[in-house]
Amino acid sequence: MNKEIAIDLKNITKAYPGVVANKNVDFQVYKGEIHALVGENGAGKSTLMKILYGIEQPDEGEIFVNGSSEVISKVETAINLGIGMVHQEFTLVPSFTAPENIGLGQEPKNNRGLVDWKGLNNAVMDIAKKYGFEVDPGLKMIDASVGVQQRTEILKTLYRNANILILDEPTAVLTPQETDELFTVIRTLVDEGKTVIFITHKLREVMEIADRVTVMRAGEVQGVSETGNTSITELASQMVGREVFLQVKKDEAQPTEKILDVQDLWVHDARGLLAVKGIDLDIKKGEIVGIAGVEGNGQTELVEALTGLRKASKGKVMYLDEDIASSSPKNIRRKKIAHIPEDRTNTGLNTQLSIWENLIGNSYFRKPLSSRGIFNLKKVGEHANKLREDFDIRAPNVSLKVKSLSGGNQQKVVVARELSEDPSLTIASQPTRGVDIGNIEAIHEQLVQMRDEGGAVLLVSAELDEVMAVADRVGVMYEGQIVKWVNPKEVDQAQMGLYMAGVKD
Amino acid sequence: MDKFSFKDVLVTVAGLFITVFIAWVLITATGNNPSEVAKYLYEGGFKGTRNIANSLYQATPLILTAVATLVSFRVGMFNIGINGSMYVGALYAGWAGYRFTGLGHFSHVTLCIAIGMFVGAAWMLLPALLRVYAGVSEIISTIILNFVAVLFVSYMANGPFRADPIAPATPRILETAELKQIFPNSQFNTGFFIAVFVAILAHFVLNKTTFGYELRSGGDGLVGMYPSRFSSYLGIPSDRSAITGMLISGALGGLAGAIEVLGAVRYFFQELEFNQGFDGILIGILGKLEPIGAIIASLFYGAIKNGGFYVDYKTDVAREIIIVLISILIFFVSAQKIVKGLEKYPIVKKLDSIFSRKKM
Repeated sequence: MNKEIAIDLKNITKAYPGVVANKNVDFQVYKGEIHALVGENGAGKSTLMKILYGIEQPDEGEIFVNGSSEVISKVETAINLGIGMVHQEFTLVPSFTAPENIGLGQEPKNNRGLVDWKGLNNAVMDIAKKYGFEVDPGLKMIDASVGVQQRTEILKTLYRNANILILDEPTAVLTPQETDELFTVIRTLVDEGKTVIFITHKLREVMEIADRVTVMRAGEVQGVSETGNTSITELASQMVGREVFLQVKKDEAQPTEKILDVQDLWVHDARGLLAVKGIDLDIKKGEIVGIAGVEGNGQTELVEALTGLRKASKGKVMYLDEDIASSSPKNIRRKKIAHIPEDRTNTGLNTQLSIWENLIGNSYFRKPLSSRGIFNLKKVGEHANKLREDFDIRAPNVSLKVKSLSGGNQQKVVVARELSEDPSLTIASQPTRGVDIGNIEAIHEQLVQMRDEGGAVLLVSAELDEVMAVADRVGVMYEGQIVKWVNPKEVDQAQMGLYMAGVKD
Repeated sequence: MDKFSFKDVLVTVAGLFITVFIAWVLITATGNNPSEVAKYLYEGGFKGTRNIANSLYQATPLILTAVATLVSFRVGMFNIGINGSMYVGALYAGWAGYRFTGLGHFSHVTLCIAIGMFVGAAWMLLPALLRVYAGVSEIISTIILNFVAVLFVSYMANGPFRADPIAPATPRILETAELKQIFPNSQFNTGFFIAVFVAILAHFVLNKTTFGYELRSGGDGLVGMYPSRFSSYLGIPSDRSAITGMLISGALGGLAGAIEVLGAVRYFFQELEFNQGFDGILIGILGKLEPIGAIIASLFYGAIKNGGFYVDYKTDVAREIIIVLISILIFFVSAQKIVKGLEKYPIVKKLDSIFSRKKM
């Protein structure tokens, strides 16, 4: 194997107030390899990559790119060194086409000083052809699928002559098919001599695509291995620092009486288009019903209609013996229906408020937290601190603002609050998004425990692994309808991928 | 909670030093003696009963307008129209002060204040409803209403409420409607205690009651957040919170105006000029959107303001320079990037961790 070193980070240390994000980190990437960087949220992967990409400056340590020592004080420096980064959140102008987005900031000029659109188009198409990308030069990003947007981002780095590509959790937003396509693209890139750093916490993907893998935990490197010489279990325990059970341990469900019965539900989305087109769905006490599907197929609107955040256009939502379709969120919450929303920063949390203020959102009005409208702040503090410990929210105290927490810890605040008031029905939408593997396990266990104690759970997730592992029954949603009900034990991933793409039997 | 930290103190002190330096340069450049200015600024703000009383008098409306600002900000609404509420509150408190006769002192004062607060709140009803039901930015509508308020009170003082044939002014309020002035030769009056009491009450309601929590759930930052998804998701009607917050904010503005008329001016006239509604926005932010912070910042601001008058009286330096200085100070104190820049120094990190330790 070619052992020329493309990136060599030596002894990197970076501290933020109250936390050391990187502690004496050594990180080496060989030229032409696919190197996975894995770790839990807050393990320091993002910080390390930000340092490499010039967004952050290390407190200590050295950076070598292609053998020479470099100080990367700003992003431009990194780009000039041939480093390109595709962020988790895309940085595309929605009303621009792929070539317009790719050329933005480095547009070729014609001799009158105007943008040479034709030259830009040709340049982009040439690069696309070289790496086997399909690009529709006239398609605006707002109309493009997530996969196409991501490829545009990758092309953008290639257009800027990147030789080393950093992909930050690139598969988080993709369907299984799109993930396969991305992997094909990555392999082509490497065949053409590029080097790829692949940040993820999905270990199955690491084993599939990467040559080597570096595991980080709590700001330190736990180990570097070749994927051929390691296993998912080993990597997982390195990441978490203990054994993790990748399978959700649960007994056969013991469903009893029906608690929710959705009949012929139709819902419009924010733009006034039909998003949910006649869904029938029932949930019994003591079972977890999963909804799988690529995001944007009506799951959001379905959940919002069930939780009172959106009016249903037609149909019934029978909860026990009462129709709660178009009831208010307040009424629905009073019936002990909990809701973990997919959008945590705007809906599930007020990030301006402190942790405790977010934790008591569904309990602030009851004794002993308050009485006659006045808080008992001592009891509130006890309640909040108990949830912080039970749900392993990593924060020094509950008076910190939620916005200072990492995404995974923010999600834990939402989950802690929603599961804390003993709900009869829990509607969980993407409950583990952005949460790291050890805590995913904990949240899954909590949902299963909820079920075993006679609660009902509706689990909506774009993570196929999650739905398949946790749910007892799974409905696949496609274009506003449930196209297939399956028993997760009886189908495989490939089959599910086809259902999710709208292919019927 | 967790709002004042050592960094903030450091930035404030650093800001003060830079401001003093710039002031030095400016005052020298205009041909005056900076140390003389500093002396009179200090004496005017803090020396002797009369100056202290006047400083507190200057702080009185500021406390209320700052709390009015922070209440609206913390429900997620940007109320820029407190000055307008102050004008209409002052006008109608003054009207009630001469219109109702035969009342006892306590009941008359209470009635005048209630009317001033009611009118101040009513003034904010329109922008609140426009925001909630028509999506009109409350920033724009309240700014416009400030102009409307000036013209409206000017018309009323000149027309329907005019008493004096020579000057456009209302009649003087009756003695039963007066807030008592305590010190001779000072307009300091019992309204100060009302303002402090209201600020402490606001602190209690906002931070220690479920009502305050419901109001804040949709906001609580320097970002207008209405309509808040978080509130409606929890089943808290964010529309109602937004309207309530705006009405409380307007009522406090009205109260500030009422106290000015009942305690200091004693009648309303066309040229009466308020700008405390705008100063209150700065002071509210300076006090970190906390009522207690607003009291402290108002006392400081009031002292400097009164010191400025004294400088104006004793020297050739125009008192406008004081306004310039206050602006520079606020500019530095609110420079968040400087705070972030300081974080890299270990000493700041260390001190910060000592000073911002918390209870919960």
